[in-house]
Amino acid sequence: MELIQTVFEVFLRTYPGFLEATLTTLKITAVALVLGTVLGLIFALMKISRSKILQTIANLYITIIRGTPLIVQIMFLYFGITSLIVLSGFWAGAIALGIHNGAYIAEIFRGAIQGIDKGQREASSSLGMTRSQSMRRIVFPQALKRSIPPLGNQFIITLKDSSLVYIISVPELFAMANREAAQSFQSLETYLVVGAYYLVLVMIFTYLLKLYENKLNVDK
Amino acid sequence: MLKGSNIHKSFGDLEVLKGIDLEVAPSEVVVLVGVSGSGKSTLLRCFNFLERINKGTIEIDGQVIDPKKHKLSEIRAEVGMVFQHFNLFPHMTVLENVIEAPIIVKKMKKADAIVLGKQLLEKVGLSDKADVYPSKLSGGQKQRVAIARSLAMEPKVLLFDEPTSALDPELVGEVLAVMQQLAQEGMTMVVVTHEMKFAKEVADRVIMLDEGRIIESADPATFFENPSHERTKQFIQLVD
Ligand SMILES: Nc1ncnc2c1ncn2[C@@H]1O[C@H](COP(=O)(O)OP(=O)(O)OP(=O)(O)O)[C@@H](O)[C@H]1O
Ligand SMILES: [Mg+2]
Repeated sequence: MELIQTVFEVFLRTYPGFLEATLTTLKITAVALVLGTVLGLIFALMKISRSKILQTIANLYITIIRGTPLIVQIMFLYFGITSLIVLSGFWAGAIALGIHNGAYIAEIFRGAIQGIDKGQREASSSLGMTRSQSMRRIVFPQALKRSIPPLGNQFIITLKDSSLVYIISVPELFAMANREAAQSFQSLETYLVVGAYYLVLVMIFTYLLKLYENKLNVDK
Repeated sequence: MLKGSNIHKSFGDLEVLKGIDLEVAPSEVVVLVGVSGSGKSTLLRCFNFLERINKGTIEIDGQVIDPKKHKLSEIRAEVGMVFQHFNLFPHMTVLENVIEAPIIVKKMKKADAIVLGKQLLEKVGLSDKADVYPSKLSGGQKQRVAIARSLAMEPKVLLFDEPTSALDPELVGEVLAVMQQLAQEGMTMVVVTHEMKFAKEVADRVIMLDEGRIIESADPATFFENPSHERTKQFIQLVD
């Protein structure tokens, strides 16, 4: 009972700062997702292209990104790149997260594109469409629809992964929680509160995704 | 109209077509039969350039088609294909399925394409389904949409690969009726089917494919009453 009370007190005391930090978390996640989706699309196209060179580049990217820890990638980008150009912690973190996501999203897109029945491409070829016309008009729209559930999943992972940028001092939720816990010595309560923030964000996002999926199903 | 000479096609070590000569005259309806694996689908797919032939030539309207010189997309637009599993575009309505290729490939104006599309849907008896999605249609309706979609490109030849094999028996008739009507209107057609009644009544010529070779080619009466090859006799008994 006492715990509930102190948790509530911590919540009340921290929410001005935590709400601002939530905004930072959301911003860094949004940038990472946009960048990740663009990169994902580019690398998925490279992977399914007929050029061996493009395929190899895409495979290399995906292998390296998926084979190394995100936190290493963040540190590498922040300290590695900032020796060449000046990049704020926020942008370094967002770009690292975006590049990281790109590899996973590329695989999502590739899987969705290759999962479209071969008959669809044959039918469009037989009607005289070129490869790119059939991709653009027939395969992509269907693949995109199929990508949405796994993309939603990836978005949720990104939201939670964004906590790792605390390591380069971006004032997002987790960094704030660390600071708060250290100052107040109320670690248990603070991490419970910050966990709840993430949970609520994820639940809101899951709900929105569900709405969107339902809408797609109704349309079809 | 459509002429294949000495067509050879292998998949790896497996030689599927072993020198096919087949000429289809304008407005002719050729029915292609043969046991499973004899190469019927492969032959149709070669005619549509979905498969590259290893040897031989394919002519359309007297012009030899060289996949290296010609744009295959342009050739394919002249040779329509109707598939066993319809392959309609599920993310488009029935009308959108029909007008997609004329708009994208032929650069037809959308308004004109819609007029054409509606005409074709009326022809296959599906005017009332223009705005529904394929998932809402029966198999027979799907196949009729697929036929309308092919017709929208005004192909010179229409190839059918077992168009009724995936259908419930009671839906076969409506698709065959549309095909019969096309034949009467003078469409040039090559049809792979197990519907022997269709072959007898609609075909100008029936061809038997066996292990990658044409072993019998005759008008339906001769083909069914008086076949020359033992394998053909066996086949006719089998399907009867
Ligand atoms: N893409 C492919 N790769 C390898 N082998 C293939 C391929 N397509 C067809 N074959 C083989 O070629 C042979 C002929 O196949 P095809 O589909 O042309 O026969 P079919 O006469 O249409 O038979 P069915 O009546 O079963 O449809 C079969 O042995 C088949 O396994
Ligand atoms: Mg077949």
